Amino acid sequence: MGTQSAEDFKEIHSLMGMLQNLDVGLVILDREYKIQLWNSFMESHSGLMPYQVRDKSLFEMFSEINEDWFRHKAESVFLLNNRAFTTWEQRPYLFKFKNYRPITGKAEFMYQNATIIPLGSADGRVERIGLIIYDVTDVAVNRVELKAANDELKRLSRTDRLTGLYNRGFWEECLGREFKRCKRTGSVSSMMIFDIDHFKKVNDEYGHPTGDEVIKAAAEALNISLRETDVAGRYGGEEYVVILVNTSAEQAMIYAERLRKLIEQTPVSHLNQTVNYTVSLGIAEINDDIASHEEWIEYADKALYRSKEGGRNQANVYS
Amino acid sequence: MTTPVLICDDSNFARKQMARSLPDGWDVDITFACNGEEALQAIKEGKGEVVFLDLTMPVMDGFETLANIKSQDLNAMVIVVSGDIQPEARQRVKSLGAIDFIKKPINKNKAELILKEFGIL
Amino acid sequence: MNPTLNVTITEDQRDCYQEISNVAMGQAADLLARLLDVHVILPIPVVNLLEVNELRMALSGIESTDSVSGVCQGFIGNGISGEALLIFNDASFGDISKLLKYGGELDNSLELELLMDVANILIGACLRGIAEQLDVVFSQGHPIVLGQHVNLAELINANNYRWTKTLAVEINYKIEGFDINCDLLLLFTEEAIEALNTKINFLLDD
Repeated sequence: MGTQSAEDFKEIHSLMGMLQNLDVGLVILDREYKIQLWNSFMESHSGLMPYQVRDKSLFEMFSEINEDWFRHKAESVFLLNNRAFTTWEQRPYLFKFKNYRPITGKAEFMYQNATIIPLGSADGRVERIGLIIYDVTDVAVNRVELKAANDELKRLSRTDRLTGLYNRGFWEECLGREFKRCKRTGSVSSMMIFDIDHFKKVNDEYGHPTGDEVIKAAAEALNISLRETDVAGRYGGEEYVVILVNTSAEQAMIYAERLRKLIEQTPVSHLNQTVNYTVSLGIAEINDDIASHEEWIEYADKALYRSKEGGRNQANVYS
Repeated sequence: MTTPVLICDDSNFARKQMARSLPDGWDVDITFACNGEEALQAIKEGKGEVVFLDLTMPVMDGFETLANIKSQDLNAMVIVVSGDIQPEARQRVKSLGAIDFIKKPINKNKAELILKEFGIL
Repeated sequence: MNPTLNVTITEDQRDCYQEISNVAMGQAADLLARLLDVHVILPIPVVNLLEVNELRMALSGIESTDSVSGVCQGFIGNGISGEALLIFNDASFGDISKLLKYGGELDNSLELELLMDVANILIGACLRGIAEQLDVVFSQGHPIVLGQHVNLAELINANNYRWTKTLAVEINYKIEGFDINCDLLLLFTEEAIEALNTKINFLLDD
């Protein structure tokens, strides 16, 4: 028997050695959240020795841990005898440790996943919990960078390069959604389309680079006059569109006049040339006769045609 | 004397498991039912003096079956055997007249204990 | 893909999986009921052997146009491996946040907390229930956020699945008196089905 327990002891000793060297944080907490075990990973990264943290409250020692949040998670482990996982996506870290790679690492701190496991007594009551801390900095940084890259791609695929407005495809998607929303909720919105008068002449007289400047200037005027909820897009070469959310045709007309005057009074200066230009606008308010968002655009286009017929530099409402 | 025992569960596996968990040497005549409707029919035919009843079943679930046994004043001692171990489920079946509640998976000792407690065995 | 594998399950085996899931989900529901102080309405679990590309159809509790959020967690033990997916209808979060008593505004990060809290309970307890009945032990990997505010197709088709057939157990949880609807999916790999069938046959013959 004696040799058996000596063997057991040796095994436990080796196991403890392995646990101490494990490159994962291990902490044991009692019911009062006082630290009972602190392995070498925790020691190295926190700079605190086991004797310095033993029987100390986790929250007093580490003010970076949000006490309410952590208790919320841990109490359910105590209560239900069921382990809980937290990911860096919820909170980047539990303990604010520096990046394991202080020189070449991209993140300043160590991203962490944590597992909280119930440590029970024989009668099934949970008296302590174990905390396992994983360093997931590389995974997290890659994910964050990938998401940023994808978001940028998404933004680019929606945007018109020259003007920064939404491109035609994405804008039409927005109009489709707004059309459905109006039909569903019975709210009233309007859409407006406008284009630059005699744009071909601008190009011919001043050259394409100046023409581009005019297109940008019109977009800028549009941007300045937009409200938060309005959705503007570049529809074609010198054609622009706007969804005026929760706006009647009458209100849209006031907006259109303001934009028309702003453009009329703001000449474009480029390469020592000054170009005066105007726009013609058409407005259509949604109504029961309009069966699709494409039809909605057609209505506004008809109003735009009337503005052209009527001598340009003016706005009309479809009726 | 042979006791007519009815086992009602939508799962064939659960019915077999229940039948296997009945105490050894108990003189019984076992009938199986797949839902509450079949159970009520069997009880009316005198095949369910003791009933082991599941709760989650199609057609007619355990709660409804208990309510029917109560309202039609049928003669059956019902022990609910269920995976639904929420406190409220226990309370509901007791108030609907079940004599006891066994949580799944069933084990032999538990069934024997209850049967003895209620003087059935 | 392994062409030598051609797994099937018999009606008896399917019934057995359903019953085991039924017991396990009951244990999980009990924990959830105790944490939230509510009554969880238990469905009959749906067990299906299906192609992974049919997964969306297996999610009967959720409409394909609903806005959803989900997490998934891998598990493995005794030759049985698979993944658990928890998918929430985004409309549920308002009520869950009240039940879990988190203060503050319901934003993306709070929704993630709620999703993780419920996933920890439902996935953990369900897997434990199944493992106990089959007399195996599962290790659980760390949960991964599949996506927030996306539709089902975006949520589950984003990955390129390696295995083609899966044993899927769908459990659609609802909570009495609240607008809460979530789907727990347990997916077992093709290789796992063989190991599972052996275990199940043992129970059936017993």
